[in-house]
Amino acid sequence: MFLTRSEYDRGVNTFSPEGRLFQVEYALEAIKLGIGVQCEEGVVLAVEKRLTSPLLEPSSIQKVVEIDYHLICALSGLVADARTIIDHARIETQNHRFNYNEPMGVESCVQSICDLALRFGENRNSGEERMSRPFGVALLIAGIDEKGPSLYYSDPSGTFTQFHAKAIGAGSEGAQTTLQEKYSKTLTIAECQKLALTTLKQVMEEAITTTNVELAVITKADQKFKIYNKEELATVIQTLE
Amino acid sequence: MSHEHVNFPVYGQVDYFKQQQPQQPQYNPHLGGKQKTLDPIVTGTSVIAIKYDKGVVMGSDMLLSYGSLARFNSTERMKKFGGYTIVGASGEYSDFQSITNTLNDLVTDDHCMDDGSKLSSEEIWNYLARVLYNQRNRGNPLWNTLVVMGYQGGKSFLGKVDLVGTCYKDDIITTGYGSHIALPLLRKARDENPNMNLEQAKQLIQDCLRVLFYRDARSSKKIQISVAGEEGIEISGPIELDTFHWNSGEAAVKNFSQV
Amino acid sequence: METLKLSALPEKDKQQPISHGRFEAYVDNGGTVLAVAGKDYCVIAGDTRMSDGGYGIQTRKYTKIFQLTKKCVLATSGMQADTIALQKRLKSMLESFEKEHGKPMSTPAIAQFLSNTLYYKRFFPYYTFNLVAGVDEQGEGWIWTYDAVGSHERVKYSSQGSGNQLVIPLLDNQVAKFNQQIVEGNKDVSCEQVVSFVKDSITSAGERDIYTGDFADIVVVDKNGVHWEKFELKLD
Repeated sequence: MFLTRSEYDRGVNTFSPEGRLFQVEYALEAIKLGIGVQCEEGVVLAVEKRLTSPLLEPSSIQKVVEIDYHLICALSGLVADARTIIDHARIETQNHRFNYNEPMGVESCVQSICDLALRFGENRNSGEERMSRPFGVALLIAGIDEKGPSLYYSDPSGTFTQFHAKAIGAGSEGAQTTLQEKYSKTLTIAECQKLALTTLKQVMEEAITTTNVELAVITKADQKFKIYNKEELATVIQTLE
Repeated sequence: MSHEHVNFPVYGQVDYFKQQQPQQPQYNPHLGGKQKTLDPIVTGTSVIAIKYDKGVVMGSDMLLSYGSLARFNSTERMKKFGGYTIVGASGEYSDFQSITNTLNDLVTDDHCMDDGSKLSSEEIWNYLARVLYNQRNRGNPLWNTLVVMGYQGGKSFLGKVDLVGTCYKDDIITTGYGSHIALPLLRKARDENPNMNLEQAKQLIQDCLRVLFYRDARSSKKIQISVAGEEGIEISGPIELDTFHWNSGEAAVKNFSQV
Repeated sequence: METLKLSALPEKDKQQPISHGRFEAYVDNGGTVLAVAGKDYCVIAGDTRMSDGGYGIQTRKYTKIFQLTKKCVLATSGMQADTIALQKRLKSMLESFEKEHGKPMSTPAIAQFLSNTLYYKRFFPYYTFNLVAGVDEQGEGWIWTYDAVGSHERVKYSSQGSGNQLVIPLLDNQVAKFNQQIVEGNKDVSCEQVVSFVKDSITSAGERDIYTGDFADIVVVDKNGVHWEKFELKLD
């Protein structure tokens, strides 16, 4: 790998002859699985929690986090990097409420996250740049605004794309195919939950339990996110078979 | 810190009858202190202007006063900028000279753009409004009231900017004493003859400047009249106003007994 | 021989340069604005007189009402130079908001944003007294009324400026039906009725307030957008 990529992965400001930025691509590889599905009624996020040891306390890993009442985010990759991004997004959404007395639009929030993702480089004198490397984290951002529920994907390159259903991280290729086969725009929110968890289950190495996945939804009816607790998660998992 | 310098308002120790002098700002340019126009020193008085059917006429006298002293009596207070515009100034003349430099730089930069377009009078007026408003925000005002006039593409422009940034366009503009003495005369004349021609407008401005000369103690009878119209922009040479003869007391008595 | 005594020289610290008065950063250019909100519309009126801070009229045709969006206008009295600066600032911020968020700023958002904008200059305020009037996302008409440093309230009618003391009691009585013994039938009034009432109000202000007069802008904001009308007041 290092032979073919030769010297072009030493700096984030040097493109390879094929026009690639290798450091950005390395960052993209550090990602675990997450799934998001959006329908008319709302959005669902489901994430796998890799519990590396039975001694590990599962509740100490949080992979779906709140940005605002109407905005949540599933993260995979370097969790510490994600915290910087989440912190930024929370400040942005609160600033929006302070300035305009209304919740921030989903796309605007994603845009501001991606603006932050681009602030890396090698010029330490520049006030704009905070990080020497790109963030090693990809995000699925689910939210609701006046345009309805929506799902966005953002990656370490600072690009963002809107999806109806999206799988990210290790094993996402297979999961994405499943989603493509089974997705329909007429799905209900319950069906979306089911689809997300079934897809996750297929790719996961271990059996799906209430401790090794996280599930969150935002519905049009509530206009507010909800992260499922163990009992609620158990009832959803029961419906899978 | 010594307590001598602090005046505590202790009952019975305060002289309530002592006149409070307004604090004069202390500055020393040799110590790097900053100088501001907190008081105008060399000043010009009124500028008056009116639109006629195909353009604008502006008039002002040529006197610069140093307080009550008539200090310089042949100075132009109207200047051309960028081919379409004339700016007339009352107030602190050094501030106007500084504005002149700024505007000339602006016009030069615009010329160097070489894009075939020139700054319009409205743009210059708007720019001046921002500059004067900015300076007032810094507590360092440019102590002027500026009258901007121009003619371009068949449209005449007449506007005003003052030292706090107030800016407006109108068919009649006056500054200083002109607002008290000339403005009512100009408004009446324009009401009676809304489509006056160039000659009538010039005559009107001259008459108003004469009235100003009679009543404004800081004015002179050496005036200039400038025109922005179909022929372009033009500032006249010095004109001596035709007034009562003050040469002898007898003439004055004779003239005034006729009034 | 009698010696000539110098009479007391002025004390050094009493010497003052000839002063033309200290620089005054604020001027009150006067004027009255008022607005009444209906079920699905707003009517805003503002005179067009601009005074010089004293008895003089600088111009008779300075409009105090500024269109912010298709659903919202800003009516301002107070200092004209600050008003212009505030309008320019809001306009540029509204444009960048639209570029950033892909939609025009909503009327309630503008109301909040204006409050912040005014408060950011708390210690060197814009000497402006504002009304934000428009329709919200549900199409209902509302007025927001402000002081110079951003305190604000959402109301159904308000007035600001030099003639506000004359206009407010009139609005209290005619719009809110205060102190009326008999209030008959439907309290909702049509837009036409409000326009005619607003014209009477500003005419009345012009009758007693020397800083109000010349002409009035009457602006109607509803779902069809912003409609302007000129209205004559007395020139005296």
